[in-house]
Amino acid sequence: MLALIFVWPLAASVVASFQRDGAWTLANYETVRRLYAGDVAYTVGVAGAGTVLTFAAAIPACGWLRLRAFGPVEFLLKIPLFVPFVVVGHALRVFWSPYVPGFASSWAGIASALAWKHVGLAALLLLGAFRALDESYLEAARQLGAGPARLTRDILVPMAGPALAVSAILIFSSMLASFSIPLMMGRGGGPQMLMIDVYYRFGQHGDFPTASALGVVAYLLAMGAALVYIRRLTR
Amino acid sequence: MSDPAAGRGLWRLSARLAALAAAAFLILGPLASLGVWSLAERWTYPSPWPQRFGFRYWSRMLTSDFLQPLQTGIGIAVAVTLVGLLFAVPLGYALARLRFPGRTVVLLAFLLPQAFPQLPVFASATREFYRWGLAGTVPGVILVHLVGGLVFAVWTMTAVFRSIAPELEEAAHNLGASVTRTFLTVSLPLAVPGIVASALLVFLYSLDEFTGTLLVGSPFVTTLPVYMYTASVGYELQIASVTALVLMAPGAVLLLLLERVLRAEYLVFFGQV
Repeated sequence: MLALIFVWPLAASVVASFQRDGAWTLANYETVRRLYAGDVAYTVGVAGAGTVLTFAAAIPACGWLRLRAFGPVEFLLKIPLFVPFVVVGHALRVFWSPYVPGFASSWAGIASALAWKHVGLAALLLLGAFRALDESYLEAARQLGAGPARLTRDILVPMAGPALAVSAILIFSSMLASFSIPLMMGRGGGPQMLMIDVYYRFGQHGDFPTASALGVVAYLLAMGAALVYIRRLTR
Repeated sequence: MSDPAAGRGLWRLSARLAALAAAAFLILGPLASLGVWSLAERWTYPSPWPQRFGFRYWSRMLTSDFLQPLQTGIGIAVAVTLVGLLFAVPLGYALARLRFPGRTVVLLAFLLPQAFPQLPVFASATREFYRWGLAGTVPGVILVHLVGGLVFAVWTMTAVFRSIAPELEEAAHNLGASVTRTFLTVSLPLAVPGIVASALLVFLYSLDEFTGTLLVGSPFVTTLPVYMYTASVGYELQIASVTALVLMAPGAVLLLLLERVLRAEYLVFFGQV
């Protein structure tokens, strides 16, 4: 069943991206390069900024929570996990709009909304990784007078490095493929997120081949990330 | 405060309060602004606060253009949950317990929708669904929800069955019970709390699903997320905010039940297969 609803359409879109009017061609990729090269760079940039922002918030917060357990803050950090993507997009839009009009649809606005949503997942993964570390290392460093900031930077982060990398990849590729959050934040002028382009190319222009070629670009971007993830998972 | 221990205690307390305040503002701020917007009958820039408050937009909730999408969404979510669990319970058990050829392939297949951009795939699925007469129908939307729903259900069910001690099943085996009988009388009853948790997750996923519903369901099937999007595109920010708050309610309940129903090991399916 999964094959029918996911793998088959996936394959169909890859095939369609190399075809136009029944003939095999690379023309769709030429269109992508001509019209959307900027958007691809923009998407990677926004996803990168969002990932950095997520971890800039999650690492200190989780480090601190690992060292000084404090339930209420941990509870707050998990809230975004349970807020639907569409709601996040809308909430951040109306949060900014009365005070900084136009910010929501800017790259920084989208990156901040993406970071807001993903902080929950990052916290879940990071706390899991930090808590799995042996207490004795922390104890030794504490004896030497290290405070929470030093302990996080010099012990927790390096030792949880692999887990950190996997969660960063997971979050980055999820941001690359984000659709509902940028859609809800509104379309400003200028570059768009890749998935918004796919949606309008398919829905508005009815141009499935070019939309598919855009999709394949997104698959390739995500696949680089996914390969690393799967490699770690199956090891 | 000359006592150094007391001084450090005070410092720690204030650090905690500061962290709590910062987290509360950053996390709850945007959610609170939904609440403010849902009550704002009039709010024009650059006023920092709505000029007029009222329940006008909440009372619109009782009209049919709000209740219809709610009803459709709940119906779809119930169907997705039932069908999803029907597949996921046996499959999760097989993945957790049995070593069969192709096990890794099955696991990877269930990772795929999580790791891949969904929108282009759903766009392609919509085209196929047009051919089969499923586009714009409730069964079409149920099918597209099952993609993500099954991923959640299979992963949680695998984790649930893993958390049940295999010794219990071995004991049943040793007393002469068959594989099926062991599953039905030992493993399944023990897994009930996990199945409930899994069902809640899938139900919530389906209720909140937006991308697939927008593509496959349009223009005839409207669930609450789609209704909310339509409202927000039309600059009806208040209507969209009311809808957003309603959409958040089941998630909030789930979050509060988190400790009781959803044990951590069910939630940490990311990277734990």
